[in-house]
Amino acid sequence: MEPLIKTVRVQVAPDRAFALFTARMGEWWPLATHSVGAADATDVTLEGRVGGEIVETLRDNTTSVWGTVTKWDPPAVVAFTWHPGRTASEATQVEVSFTADGTGTRVELVHTGWEARDAAARDNYDSGWDFVLGCFTSGV
Amino acid sequence: MLDALGDRTRRSILELLREGPVTVGELAARLPVSRPAVSQHLRVLQESGLVAHETVGTRNFYRVDSRGLTVLRDWLDDFWGTALESFAAFADKESSDGTAD
Repeated sequence: MEPLIKTVRVQVAPDRAFALFTARMGEWWPLATHSVGAADATDVTLEGRVGGEIVETLRDNTTSVWGTVTKWDPPAVVAFTWHPGRTASEATQVEVSFTADGTGTRVELVHTGWEARDAAARDNYDSGWDFVLGCFTSGV
Repeated sequence: MLDALGDRTRRSILELLREGPVTVGELAARLPVSRPAVSQHLRVLQESGLVAHETVGTRNFYRVDSRGLTVLRDWLDDFWGTALESFAAFADKESSDGTAD
């Protein structure tokens, strides 16, 4: 599957946009619809360093690791593996870049890494389906 | 198409279909819902392009439809679109809060 690319423009400068995106992820991430715990999810944090984890916390204080930071280059780029509700071996990759755009910032998100999964799935059952269902069953 | 996946039972049906083609009776035996309910969910999944069926003799076997990748792409597009819109709303609010001082 081809990389999925999404962009959005925000009205703050790249350094601020980067900080808000990463350090304050729990304040903007749509947890109710985009989490493992759904209504029971209370927070998500991104640890700002290579090797840092993105962790969801649930109401009962259990946690769920969504991925691991692979690139930490503030205020330009943050990249991480992505496997909410799945094991790390099933991770795809997400890279988010922040580029100055007038007085604001253009935020571009690129989601890749289905190749290995597709190859494995071809030998197995139906390409892509494990990932589809992993997404839906985890809500992420 | 994606509404079809908003239901827990339908997601459970898809999980079971991953193991290979099965009949309505086999699905009903493994789910906490009635056979007519399973049939109804299968109808929704078929209409959404997520499930297909084939008739062998007198039995209908249900299986996942290979169009699933299209569904995935649409779903991911919506997933990240919603997340980024949420981020933009937050950042823009922070921006206006900051200039209001």
